[in-house]
Amino acid sequence: MTTNEWLPLALLASSLLPGLLIFVLPERRIALRTTLNLAGAGTKLVLVGVLLRGVASGKEYSARFAVLPGLDLALKADALGLLFVSLSAVLWLFTTLYAIGYLEGSPCRSRFFGFFSLCVTATVGIAMASNLFTFFIFYELLTMSTFPLVVHRGTDKAMKGGRVYLAYTLSGGTVLLAGIVWLHHLLGHTEFAHTGIVAALAGENAGQLKAIFLLLMTGVGVKAAIVPLHGWLPQAMVAPAPVSALLHAVAVVKAGAFGIVRIVYDIYGIELAASLGLLAPLAAFASLTIVWGSVRALYQDDLKKRLAFSTVSQVSYIALGVALFGPIGTIGGLIHLVHQGIMKITLFFCAGNYAETLGIHKVSEMGGAGHRMPLTTLAFSIAALGLIGVPATAGFVSKWYLGQGALAAGLPWVLAVLAASSLLNAAYFLPVLYRAWFLPPPAAWPEGNILPRGSRETTLLLLLPPLFTAGLTLLAGMLAMTEFSPLAWARLITSREYQTWSP
Amino acid sequence: MVALSLLLSLSALASLVLAPSRAALDIPWLLLGTRIVLDDTGRTFLGFSALVWFVTALYARAYLRSDSRRSVFGAFFLATQAGHLGVCIAGDAVSFYFFFALMTFAAYGLVIHSGKPEAHRAANVYLAMALLGEALLAAGMMMASHAAGSLLLADIVRTPLPTAAITLLIAGFGIKVGVPLLHMWLPLAHPVAPVPASAVLSGLILKAGLIGWLRLLPLGNEAWPVAGTVLMIAGFAGMFLGIAFGVGQRDVKVLLAYSSVSQMGFLSLGVGAGLAQPSAWPGLLPAVTFYALHHALGKSALFLGVGVAQAYGARPWVFAGLALPALALAGAPGTSGLLAKWTLKTALDLSWPWPSVLAWLLPLAALGTTLLMARLLWLVSLKKAHAVSPSGLALPWLALVPSGVALPWWISPHGTATGVTTAEAMFAASAPLAVGAVIVWWVIRRGIRPWAPPPGDMLSLLHNNKEART
Repeated sequence: MTTNEWLPLALLASSLLPGLLIFVLPERRIALRTTLNLAGAGTKLVLVGVLLRGVASGKEYSARFAVLPGLDLALKADALGLLFVSLSAVLWLFTTLYAIGYLEGSPCRSRFFGFFSLCVTATVGIAMASNLFTFFIFYELLTMSTFPLVVHRGTDKAMKGGRVYLAYTLSGGTVLLAGIVWLHHLLGHTEFAHTGIVAALAGENAGQLKAIFLLLMTGVGVKAAIVPLHGWLPQAMVAPAPVSALLHAVAVVKAGAFGIVRIVYDIYGIELAASLGLLAPLAAFASLTIVWGSVRALYQDDLKKRLAFSTVSQVSYIALGVALFGPIGTIGGLIHLVHQGIMKITLFFCAGNYAETLGIHKVSEMGGAGHRMPLTTLAFSIAALGLIGVPATAGFVSKWYLGQGALAAGLPWVLAVLAASSLLNAAYFLPVLYRAWFLPPPAAWPEGNILPRGSRETTLLLLLPPLFTAGLTLLAGMLAMTEFSPLAWARLITSREYQTWSP
Repeated sequence: MVALSLLLSLSALASLVLAPSRAALDIPWLLLGTRIVLDDTGRTFLGFSALVWFVTALYARAYLRSDSRRSVFGAFFLATQAGHLGVCIAGDAVSFYFFFALMTFAAYGLVIHSGKPEAHRAANVYLAMALLGEALLAAGMMMASHAAGSLLLADIVRTPLPTAAITLLIAGFGIKVGVPLLHMWLPLAHPVAPVPASAVLSGLILKAGLIGWLRLLPLGNEAWPVAGTVLMIAGFAGMFLGIAFGVGQRDVKVLLAYSSVSQMGFLSLGVGAGLAQPSAWPGLLPAVTFYALHHALGKSALFLGVGVAQAYGARPWVFAGLALPALALAGAPGTSGLLAKWTLKTALDLSWPWPSVLAWLLPLAALGTTLLMARLLWLVSLKKAHAVSPSGLALPWLALVPSGVALPWWISPHGTATGVTTAEAMFAASAPLAVGAVIVWWVIRRGIRPWAPPPGDMLSLLHNNKEART
């Protein structure tokens, strides 16, 4: 086995092996479990670094195993996949640290961290899948490994949320499978390739291709929480904070959004998708979701529920970017895959901090939280301003490219959607910031769990991850033009998807 | 924080001296590729802004000495200042938008500072309107830079823009400028903010909207007759609306806020004229810039002076220090105000029917301003001294007043200074003042109490109606 084949597998193994080992660890082996987790996360980061260097210089990494004749389990680390892998690897490390702090002293931690690692393995598998069959396997593995995390607390409410989650995602998976089988039947294979693989069929099978597109999009649209398939997401916020953070930023919704990107670019090809008229409905649904999610978020008093509806809205920016025909829009969608991740994970970390430290779960209880927890609230503010699209944050870069992409694609109405979304984002985030910073703190917090130690507002493991990701939000916004930014990588991907365009 | 503010102002002033004219600096790795420029317009704005920021920072240190949350104020003050000075020197759309947003959001902290319920309400109105402005601007700037194929403001002003972009930019910056119907935040925010904050809000932050127009609209390059005419009419509406709503106010700071709406109307008029008639723009640009300088220095001196009057009462030296900028704003002979108005009027070299409209309306506006300023001085004369007055307020203010009087004469556009010293000009300028004096005498003799709408006028009416119905 050559290095090129070995690396993608090692990337999977770096979270799979620790996960499997953790399952069999006794509950009290905290130190060993933490070591395994962190060693896995560290190894993954190193491997991602190696792969990024290689892919940037034009190398290909792939591994392939025949399952049945004509049906291969195939992995490939290409530029697009690595965008998602890097996001997962970085945020996995932060989330693991956060989860260690968050779950300190709570039961069933071996089960939790085991599934947590499996969940990341599935995400990396989705990112590196090089055909739809492999994609589907990891996509379902993701469903299976996240369900125990969603219901981790085991309360009635958690079980109910988990059932809704399972019902939606399994139905979505079934529809996806139907689409894959149909396409496989037509084409004989489903290998991803730059600029698509179905162009040859477009002449006589255009109708079938459109139907397959609908099936595939419905399948991945459930996880991407496209309206009207978004119902599970607000229910799933019963999960513990680190799970919500991972679900909303990296794992589940991103897997759906990433699926949309893969299917449009590497199955259909953006140019064929445009000529079949598939992009306009996608843009319409994405826009509808952006506005609808924001409107619903306005009415949520529960902080995590507000964030959940915000995710519904924000993830559709990615779909919108994909649907804007042209390199600029593509870049906008791709960078938002990363940008939304770092911003939303910050918000969920902070929401968890408020809940753990002060017992705050509702927006209406947030008054004065900024005085008691200034650093957490600072991180929250940066991420919230980022999602609104304030310049010098990552969110602004996304919006700028999406807006420019929309104009280049001749769809100026998208600017109205973006402006409305920014205003709605402001309308549901700024009242939170206003309460936290400008209202006086209450006489007693709902439930003070963690007492301040000196100048430290909460435990270090809860505080550092949101501060790091908030810092990344600022860096991605201010240094977008440097060569290590998500923007630079998105340009690289785009130059490979549009053959006639150079950034 | 104050030290940093002072340092920032000083370095801005130093850059004026040290940087070569038309200096440009590219920072390709910052934001989406940043360019900093120091052209003639930018130099003027940067110069007077740095001066006012410097003086106000010193004033704020004294004003908030016994305030337990002064460091919070200082932080917001510094951020607002950084944003505002950045707006003066930004050379590309994205960094301009960044500085503009930084200034806008940081100023929220200045408005809400006192923490009183009315401050919270005013700050919320401010924020809502500011956000609307930001959203309009974001869309307008995206369109503009798409049309230009470049982020550089220098390229954007040379590009024919779509109507939608022009509309968005005019309205988006119009909220900051306080164009009528978009002005409601202004009379609400000014009275609740601490005095130094009101001074920079009225004196400088409103001007940032003007800089936006100057930097992004195709002024002098492309004729936009309809948009230009609308903006000119809005300018006149602002002039008279500010006077009508302001003249009866009992709170000096509300009155001054309405006076700013009125004065910014002159600037909207100038920009609108340039938009409608590009041939007039080369003359209008220095006139508008000069008017902005005159108003910035005069209005911030008035606000700071009101704070001094609150502390020391209406003593003669306080009264005199307030009367100077008040006379300047009214355009009295020999003041910078007359110079500014004269320059603007001469530059408004427009086609029919504007000359006759201007000939009627401009003296009327001068009369209105006279009444506003008379009312202001009368209100100030009623002020009693506080038991404990903060020390150190007077000095920065007393430094600003003469610079407001002298500086405009020093840097006035070439040749205008001689025009206003003729007997004819003196007489034309005295007439509104004389009529104003007669009206004031008559009003005082008859004991008429002028009408005063609630601050935020139309917004309050909407609000009251809603309450009446429920």
